[in-house]
Amino acid sequence: MPVSQSLEEHLKLDGISISFGPVNVIPSLDLSVRKGEMVAFLGPSGCGKTTTLRMIAGLISPSSGRITVGGRDITRLPIHDRDMGMVFQSYALFPHMDVTRNVQFGLQMRNVSKQDIERRSKEALELVQLGHLAQRKPKELSGGQQQRVALARALVIQPSILLLDEPLSNLDAKLRDEMRLQIRALQQQSGITAVFVTHDQVEALSMCDRVVVMRNGRIEQFGTPTEIYERPATAFVANFVGRTNRLKGKVGSDGQLVAAGQPLRATTKLSPGPVDVLIRPHRIALQPSSGPATTGDGNVVEGKVSSIIFIGDLVQYVVRAGDEEIVVEEATRRERAPLGVGDNVHLRWSADDTLVYPDDGK
Amino acid sequence: MTTEALAPPRKMRSGEVAVLLLLPIALINAIGFILPVLNLARFSFNKVSIGGGIENVFTWENWLGLLADRFYLELIFNSVWISLAITLTTLILSYPIALYLHRSSGPWRTFLTVLVISPLLTSAVVRTYGWIAILIDDGPVVSAIRALGLPAPSLMFNIKGVFIGLTEILMPYMILALMAGFGRLDPRVEEAARTLGATPARTFRKVILPLTLPGIALGCLLCFVLAVSSFITPKLMGGGRVFLLATEIYDQAIVTLNWPLASTLSILVLIVFGAALWAYSAVLRRLD
Ligand SMILES: Nc1ncnc2c1ncn2[C@@H]1O[C@H](COP(=O)(O)OP(=O)(O)OP(=O)(O)O)[C@@H](O)[C@H]1O
Ligand SMILES: [Mg+2]
Repeated sequence: MPVSQSLEEHLKLDGISISFGPVNVIPSLDLSVRKGEMVAFLGPSGCGKTTTLRMIAGLISPSSGRITVGGRDITRLPIHDRDMGMVFQSYALFPHMDVTRNVQFGLQMRNVSKQDIERRSKEALELVQLGHLAQRKPKELSGGQQQRVALARALVIQPSILLLDEPLSNLDAKLRDEMRLQIRALQQQSGITAVFVTHDQVEALSMCDRVVVMRNGRIEQFGTPTEIYERPATAFVANFVGRTNRLKGKVGSDGQLVAAGQPLRATTKLSPGPVDVLIRPHRIALQPSSGPATTGDGNVVEGKVSSIIFIGDLVQYVVRAGDEEIVVEEATRRERAPLGVGDNVHLRWSADDTLVYPDDGK
Repeated sequence: MTTEALAPPRKMRSGEVAVLLLLPIALINAIGFILPVLNLARFSFNKVSIGGGIENVFTWENWLGLLADRFYLELIFNSVWISLAITLTTLILSYPIALYLHRSSGPWRTFLTVLVISPLLTSAVVRTYGWIAILIDDGPVVSAIRALGLPAPSLMFNIKGVFIGLTEILMPYMILALMAGFGRLDPRVEEAARTLGATPARTFRKVILPLTLPGIALGCLLCFVLAVSSFITPKLMGGGRVFLLATEIYDQAIVTLNWPLASTLSILVLIVFGAALWAYSAVLRRLD
């Protein structure tokens, strides 16, 4: 558990909005980030993540609303007085300085002593594993290396707020995992409040204390990774975070949910009308239909395996049930005789795992 | 097995292609520029006869005479110095405009760019006469200064007039050259400097200025060369009282009919240009 994280509110966005010309990119956004917390901004391309980050950093001013840090209004504070470290999506390294001087820039601006500048910049470069490239110019580095320089440059100043705009997007899987751990460890040790923009839901869920799911400049849901994953507030969130099966369904006037041609049970409160029914593929259990067909308090749907995709540690079964195709994921194991294409099966999942949302027409 | 038979038809190497492509311009340059300059260089070692004809003999007279004459040494020194001062003034006045243009976008940028370029659509002669009308002793500027009760300076037919006129005439070139050299200036990089704690002034000194140096060097080279070789503006606005290299070459060639001396001065101007070019490439080499 993060030691330094408290319940104290640190960064607060209060109804901020912005338009570019006629386009209202962010209509009105409220957000409160606690001290020492790492919050992920997760959302599709163009939903306003970078724009929000830029407003926090002061690079653009919101058309309306307030931004406060520790209760102090910084909406009109000049950029250089905000003490925020930012990693730009495009890196934005200084092309005329070598790696070391890039990393030292922020320290020089803070009038840190010469010895400390040397030591801290060296440490920061070691942290991102770039000590051996200290003398290179940015244009002599690969994309991933540039990204790590940008990261070191933002981390070395130990800002009170760290703004990371997809800081790991250009790294290979292994390096990305290492960097995640290091950023997280550093952020927790020094109690920096961080906002982490990412497309990658695994990154958002695994690294961050809370996740903001954004869509079209609005917050769809703000919650812990577990809340986002287990209790997605909208169909959009459920679809965007993790894989889902999406069935067209209907709630009758008696409150009975019907989908895939069968009555289903769900724990959500339902109002009559067309609905989307979402079920995560790995929450469905698959059994040969010759087995016992106990209903319990969950859902059982009959179907026929129409294709099987082997992914290594997972097998995906595509099962035809009524006029819907349902994907089921299972961890591969050896004890059960593998199912084959054409087998009749029972799909089984609990009422809790049946996520139901009013049909949003998409 | 014979491989020769299978080999594809010989392709031209890139070097050969380059030579072929460069040949026309090289020829034009040789005929239109190099030969005349060589001819000019030859004249500078010839002698002028009484009637203005050229005696085809070899002599160092022109060169030695030039270097021994105080008038010409001062002329060279003044020309270079004034051109440098004009270049610097042009740079200072043009830089903010170029930076603003570089940052603006859309129709506004197009409009402003057209505005900057439009003086180039009128000939320098017309613009020079315009300046004469404005700066002349009972013109609007001097009258305005006098109306304020200040001692009115004489702005026309002296070096001040030449300075003002040339600066304005060279500004469009400087702005265009600066903008061409501003390619490396990415607004994100400026923003990065600001988030790292740099004030606008320090961002300018540490980031914007170094990144725009190539443009500055290019603009200065261009304007310096244009200033040294400018003739019409110093001739008209100097009122015959301002002596610079270009005006002197004209006088020697057309008025005095001393072509060997005019040639010597012209070659001297070329040497000055060579020095400017060398300084420019030295700056660029240091930047890389
Ligand atoms: N300066 C600008 N002028 C006009 N429109 C802009 C400007 N900056 C951003 N936008 C628009 O605002 C919207 C949000 O952009 P933003 O860069 O915040 O997206 P994002 O969520 O960061 O996307 P990505 O994940 O692709 O980086 C986009 O539709 C974009 O086209
Ligand atoms: Mg973005």
